[in-house]
Amino acid sequence: MYRWVDHTSEVELEIEAVSEREVFEEALGALGELLADDPRGHVRRRVVDVAAADRPTLLADWLGELVFLAEAESFLAERVVALQLEDARVVATLEGRTAAPRHLVKAVTYHRLALAERDGLWRARVVLDV
Amino acid sequence: MSELRRVDETLWEIPVTARPDMRVPARVFADAELLDAIRDDRSLEQLGNVATLPGIVGAALAMPDIHQGYGFPVGAVAAMNSSDGVVSPGGVGYDINCGVRLLALPIAANELDGRKEALVHELSRAVPAGAGKEAGLVLRSGELERVLAEGPAALVARGIGTEADVELTESRGRLAGADAAAVSERARQRARGQLGTVGSGNHFLELQRVERVFDERAAAAYGLRESQATVLIHSGSRGLGHQVCTDYVRRMDAVQARYGIELPDRQLACAPLDSPEGREYLAAMAAAANFAWANRHAIAHSVRRAIARVLGEGVAARTAQVYDVAHNVAKLESYEGHELCVHRKGATRAFPPGSPDVPAPHRDAGQAVFIPGSMGTASYVLAGEPGSVERSFGTTCHGAGRRLSRTAAKKEVSGNELRRQLEAQGITVRSPSPKGLAEEAPFAYKDVDRVVDVVEHAGLARRVAKLRPIGVVKG
Repeated sequence: MYRWVDHTSEVELEIEAVSEREVFEEALGALGELLADDPRGHVRRRVVDVAAADRPTLLADWLGELVFLAEAESFLAERVVALQLEDARVVATLEGRTAAPRHLVKAVTYHRLALAERDGLWRARVVLDV
Repeated sequence: MSELRRVDETLWEIPVTARPDMRVPARVFADAELLDAIRDDRSLEQLGNVATLPGIVGAALAMPDIHQGYGFPVGAVAAMNSSDGVVSPGGVGYDINCGVRLLALPIAANELDGRKEALVHELSRAVPAGAGKEAGLVLRSGELERVLAEGPAALVARGIGTEADVELTESRGRLAGADAAAVSERARQRARGQLGTVGSGNHFLELQRVERVFDERAAAAYGLRESQATVLIHSGSRGLGHQVCTDYVRRMDAVQARYGIELPDRQLACAPLDSPEGREYLAAMAAAANFAWANRHAIAHSVRRAIARVLGEGVAARTAQVYDVAHNVAKLESYEGHELCVHRKGATRAFPPGSPDVPAPHRDAGQAVFIPGSMGTASYVLAGEPGSVERSFGTTCHGAGRRLSRTAAKKEVSGNELRRQLEAQGITVRSPSPKGLAEEAPFAYKDVDRVVDVVEHAGLARRVAKLRPIGVVKG
């Protein structure tokens, strides 16, 4: 599950999940809610491949890739079809729609970025510039 | 906050001893009420973090419109020694050279008669606004490279805008050292179709009336008079700037250990100004800044075309650019013989009268600065004062400053209700997104009058004119 935490000028996303994979899926869902109210358009699939130095950075860069695809390619990711997490790399097949984003997300920051497991629960936090 | 002490009527300080990692004090220009507005968020913590950056001189400064951001708080100024200082892409922020341009029409607002609605409607048709890919200028082969290198001057050759517009733009719309090769292919992809577009979020066009002139001499130098119609343009470098910042935050984050830099916040990722990463970021940031000036220049051209269609070619031809200022940028400037890299994040350069960097027609008045309000509230035209150089590295505030989160704003009013309220005040609104409109509701911002009071009392800038909105176009 995810929730939006109040932030004066940007938006702060908090995620709780039972697995890291689910954290990445929840992050995709949250971003989708932010970018589009009621996405319409041709359904298509796309493979993404993102690598980073560590897992928290990978989560931020995963969202950063989705922001880029929305703005540059009008691909609004809606769900994960397949997802493979390696040490600091994620390869995923996504299903989404060809549509311009309704709302703007400028970037995914590293400010207060967190992803860690405790007592079997994965918790993540990402601040987005909107 | 317990370490915060009052220095004088408008200046507060967190001493350098407040945290072991601070290299300089942190100072906030504010009054008690504006300070109260940030007591419960992370603004002061973030300003303290800025004070830890290598090579920072004087103090980490905040303007009265300060609010919580990411990395730097919004409204922050940090000057780094060019010899041993750093540059921080996260400090400049994602919207590189977000800024404001003011156009002055040759007619009074009441001369619009029954044509105000038509003009606002035409502005909304002429200037694309909203998120994502839009119908901006189509650039021919090599034109993007020229825009990145030269800024708006590259568009004048295409008949877009004039040389006079370029002359009345901060840094003449062209930062030295811009290198298109330092801008990634991804940034170029995001920029496609976006030159000449407003974007969304807090960006907008506003049709206004000069409600009051405070300084007749300066207003005359800027080409402003009471009752005149004006158009304010607020936009930036769009997806290109967002991606340049993304690329270089990521790149610098990976080399902190190599340079022995320890940071309290990863978003402050930085590199020495004379390092390969620092030099390349400055070259890419300058290119993005030039793109932003070209963007506002192209928007101004579309505004003039809209004016021509509604009010006639004569009115459009005599619609003059007052000035154009950046409020998210890092620039190399000289203070007391020292070259410094001045980061302004949500803060505006405000050079005083006599400064050689102020265009000749404005030099006796001081640099023009525009402080946008928030749709229902006034905006201000200010002029830079000597105190800005003495106290804030030639800087003043950039707006009212957010007070409420977007979520809180939407809880208080719907977009449609806000539209009704604004129209009841005589403000015509065009926005494709009721949600986006509600997020930018006037009450989500601080009192712009109070913010301007502080910078005037602090001697950073003085009031020249007050502008009242009569039409708004939002993305």
